[in-house]
Amino acid sequence: MNDNSTPLLQLDSVGINFGGLRAVDDLNLSIKKGDVVGLIGPNGAGKTTVFNLITGVYKPTDGVIRWKGEPISGLPPYRIAQRRILRTFQTIRLFSGMSVLENVLAGQHMETHQTWLSGLLSLPKQRREEKALRKSCMEILEQLDLASIAHEEATSLPYGIQRRVEMARTLAAKPELLILDEPAAGLNDSESVELNKTILGIRDQGVTVILVEHDMNVVMNVTDHICVINFGRKIAEGGPEDIRNNPQVIEAYLGSDDDDDEEAA
Amino acid sequence: MKKLTSTWAGLLLWVLGLLLVPLFADNNWIFIMSYFAIYAVVSLSQDVVLGRAGMYDMGHAVYFGIGAYTTAILNTQYGVPILWTLPIAVVVSALFGALLSAPIVKLRGDYLLVATIGFNEIFHMALVNDVGGITGGPDGIYGIEAPSLFGHQIMSQGGIFVLNWILLGIVLLLMNNLENSRLGRVFRYLKEDELAATTLGVNARYYKILAFALGAGIAGAAGTLFTSLLQSVSPGAFVFTESVTLFAIVIVGGQASIPGVLLGAVLMFVVPQVFRDLAEYRYFVFGLAMIVIMVLRPQGILPRRRRLE
Ligand SMILES: Nc1ncnc2c1ncn2[C@@H]1O[C@H](COP(=O)(O)OP(=O)(O)OP(=O)(O)O)[C@@H](O)[C@H]1O
Ligand SMILES: [Mg+2]
Repeated sequence: MNDNSTPLLQLDSVGINFGGLRAVDDLNLSIKKGDVVGLIGPNGAGKTTVFNLITGVYKPTDGVIRWKGEPISGLPPYRIAQRRILRTFQTIRLFSGMSVLENVLAGQHMETHQTWLSGLLSLPKQRREEKALRKSCMEILEQLDLASIAHEEATSLPYGIQRRVEMARTLAAKPELLILDEPAAGLNDSESVELNKTILGIRDQGVTVILVEHDMNVVMNVTDHICVINFGRKIAEGGPEDIRNNPQVIEAYLGSDDDDDEEAA
Repeated sequence: MKKLTSTWAGLLLWVLGLLLVPLFADNNWIFIMSYFAIYAVVSLSQDVVLGRAGMYDMGHAVYFGIGAYTTAILNTQYGVPILWTLPIAVVVSALFGALLSAPIVKLRGDYLLVATIGFNEIFHMALVNDVGGITGGPDGIYGIEAPSLFGHQIMSQGGIFVLNWILLGIVLLLMNNLENSRLGRVFRYLKEDELAATTLGVNARYYKILAFALGAGIAGAAGTLFTSLLQSVSPGAFVFTESVTLFAIVIVGGQASIPGVLLGAVLMFVVPQVFRDLAEYRYFVFGLAMIVIMVLRPQGILPRRRRLE
């Protein structure tokens, strides 16, 4: 069934309107298992909207999104998450008033089996599970070098660390497709180099990645394939080298008043 | 560590109450403590929905009332012993909690609040108008038996107090367990950021309905004991303003904070009983206190301690 000819994720002329605004239009995109795909474009191009469509936050007004051949557009976000399509947010969304560990525990929601009643009664099996959950969360935190701050309040940490906590929370949910919305935003240079390593490490574990990023260091170093959109439409697609030299892409970036990218090498 | 010591302190207070109140208090005080236990349970159940799951339920007296009337009707019409009616009251209230909340949990906070006020008004109206001929109308239902245990009726105020105190103990234990369970965490995730929670696989609708059902079920248990304490029920105890009081207890005491909610229940239900002469000033004094606290301490008097595990 799921041979190489069926893409992991497929967007089939997907579009969405917000009132009069066509935020995404006739978008076709196909993602193979194991790829790291970059989705780039100027501010307001519709990149985050594409992620919101994939994760069920918005329902497309046209077209179909397929996961391993099965249509998933229109499903609620939690059902899409159950297919192990998981994301981070452009504006970090950690749970405030909760520790790093408690945030990462949220990622383990789907890995947790206790019933609500066993939790209320604190049955021995439930308590064992709670212990095991904390242990596996600590392992994830160690991998991302966050173990030492496991008990700190997540939302009071520096920005770059919060991004990593959100990544840890998402990884705790065991993604097959990991969706990262500007993971390098707000990171300093060394953090962004670290991020490159993390993303490639995740890919090496067999996770497919799609990311939006303005930081061309990240985009050019980690992606296998890039899709460029502008005004909700795809304007180019190809390997990093093709995209770097594509005149339409350069035009889209230079033509807009957007100047936070240094890719005109 | 801190958390552990406060749990032990709570347990100690509970045991002291259980031993000392029936031995040393006069009947008036025993009654007040019973009354406190019942309203503490209702307040904790309001907190499940409001403070923990973050839904602005301002009609919580409905579920308290459903439990109370379920017991009153079963006991007076069908002769079911009081303690047998307890599980039935829990289930009936929980079912109503689930059914009534199902169509409204997707609403934004302020809209949900208005809808729950609507439930309360309809419920009160139904009680007063004796819908179905079973609620006794504006006078309510009288002549409810005292609870009996192993065939013996518990007639003494002390015995009734012990029963109420045990229910409070059980509910406190459940709330404590909730803190260390997926259910309790999911409530907090939904309260803090519903979108983030759903993209991690949380079925928000299911858990919100569950929060209502759980809160309603616990309120229903308190309703049973309320009925047996007063040996009567009438619509006045379940009016909208009672829901407002419950709502205020949680906000003023401290959301998702067990000590905060208990303190709120003491302030709103025990203090007025003690100062009977001042009872008519109750709403004035508490109204003023609410304003002052919300301005100076919006997180409540005893806010949830940041327990970061
Ligand atoms: N919920 C919404 N309602 C109305 N308009 C929206 C909504 N979400 C996005 N838009 C609009 O859709 C367009 C695309 O927005 P989107 O956030 O997807 O851009 P983006 O490519 O992620 O930009 P950036 O690089 O700034 O993050 C914008 O014009 C935005 O204002
Ligand atoms: Mg964006």
